[in-house]
Amino acid sequence: METKQFVIVGIAIALVIAIAAPFLASGNPDGLESAFFSIYGAKPFMGDELDEDAAGAAEEQAIATTGNDFAHEALMPDYSIPGMDKAGEVVAVVLGTLLMLVLVFGIAKVSARSDN
Amino acid sequence: MHIPDAFIPLGQALIYWIIALVFIALALRWARRSMGEEKIPLVAVLAAGIFAIQALNIPIPWGTSGHMVGAALAAIVLGSPYAGVFVLTLVLLVQGIIFGDGGITVMGANIVNMGVVGGFVGYYGYTGVKGLIGNSYAAAFIAGWASLFVSAILCAVELAIAGTFPLGLGLTMMGTYHAVIGLIEGGITAVALYLIASARPDILERPAGVSA
Repeated sequence: METKQFVIVGIAIALVIAIAAPFLASGNPDGLESAFFSIYGAKPFMGDELDEDAAGAAEEQAIATTGNDFAHEALMPDYSIPGMDKAGEVVAVVLGTLLMLVLVFGIAKVSARSDN
Repeated sequence: MHIPDAFIPLGQALIYWIIALVFIALALRWARRSMGEEKIPLVAVLAAGIFAIQALNIPIPWGTSGHMVGAALAAIVLGSPYAGVFVLTLVLLVQGIIFGDGGITVMGANIVNMGVVGGFVGYYGYTGVKGLIGNSYAAAFIAGWASLFVSAILCAVELAIAGTFPLGLGLTMMGTYHAVIGLIEGGITAVALYLIASARPDILERPAGVSA
């Protein structure tokens, strides 16, 4: 496969995943969040039910424990666009994917070995 | 496995940032010496694909989910653990700043866990297992699984030091969930390596396939 073709196919696969991800992705807490909620009594270790109130309290408790209350206002929090639903999530993940492509290409270009 | 800001005190977060910066400097040195210009499009596409697939949380039992990290894949395909550091640092930077996924003060810890540990366990797991059993794809599966599992164990230890998790409970829970999530990492790593090796056998730093 030519490099150009390989890159186009690669970008196409990345974009297909990016568009599909908001529809297919599980909304369950990830492994770290699940462990955190279980330890702080908001979810059973091997059970499904998440107690939203207890989960919120757990986050407060973590801040109290570590003293790290740093907060950062993300542009597209949790891969979504505030005020938009699924379409916003698709746009967010697609934009992120395209941004990665451009950013990493640029950084790789300035940091790669020059062969000439 | 993206640690949020609240989970680690600032002083400790700074130490992880220092460790991360050392590895980022080493990754840039690797790029300058070993990442040829012909690899640039591949690195960019790989990073974009890893970002996209990280948004795809796959359900596992116990009301939990997990997603691929991708450091092992980057390290295996580009032939260096530092490739995992290079790609994951940029993925985590964008995820943290623009999408609020993973904290800012604790980004160093996330880079250490997913980029450094993922890259090193992934790369040396792959070369080691491949040397033992000869099959690239089985080696990629095992290395992918191990990279995620070891990252999770280190994360549990860091959170125990932080006072956020008790050590035993943290290790048990993080280990259990990520032993399963590791199957996702291993599976996608092996399949992606197969697809890349089939399309462009030449771009792999070491020839994939079954070695004699």
